[in-house]
Amino acid sequence: MKPVWLVALLPLAACTPRVALEAPKDPITINLNVKIDHEIRLKVEKDVDKLITEDRTLF
Amino acid sequence: MKTTTRLMAVLLLACSALAMALDLDSAKSQGLVGEQPNGYLGVVKATPDAVELAADINAKRRAAYEAIAKKNGATLDQVAILAGQKAIEKTALGTYVKTPDGQWVKK
Repeated sequence: MKPVWLVALLPLAACTPRVALEAPKDPITINLNVKIDHEIRLKVEKDVDKLITEDRTLF
Repeated sequence: MKTTTRLMAVLLLACSALAMALDLDSAKSQGLVGEQPNGYLGVVKATPDAVELAADINAKRRAAYEAIAKKNGATLDQVAILAGQKAIEKTALGTYVKTPDGQWVKK
């Protein structure tokens, strides 16, 4: 009786990973944008720091 | 004669640069102007000198922000706001800073 139940569940188990495979597409794009923003921010921050500490007539 | 004129011009330039630095610092310590979160100098007490100083410095700041923005592919606002945060952090204690809700408070 028990092995029959397991066979019935098999197709379900096979379906679940297929759905999960498509999911990463969006998060990857979002992470890339965040990374680019972060890099720009770091560069801008460096230049702004330089401006504020070096140009004493403006700050 | 030409050298004297040149020397005088150089001296005058040096003096005006020095006077500008003194002006900003003293204007800040007298509570006439203060740093704002938008990256520009704000007028706390609207004396003609303070208004003129703020306008002059803000024009120069804007040009500097614009150059940084262009160089790094960021927008003018992004640079200005970042500079505002840093300028508020670095400004001397006892000078005025503007809170995000628009109130002048002494740092």
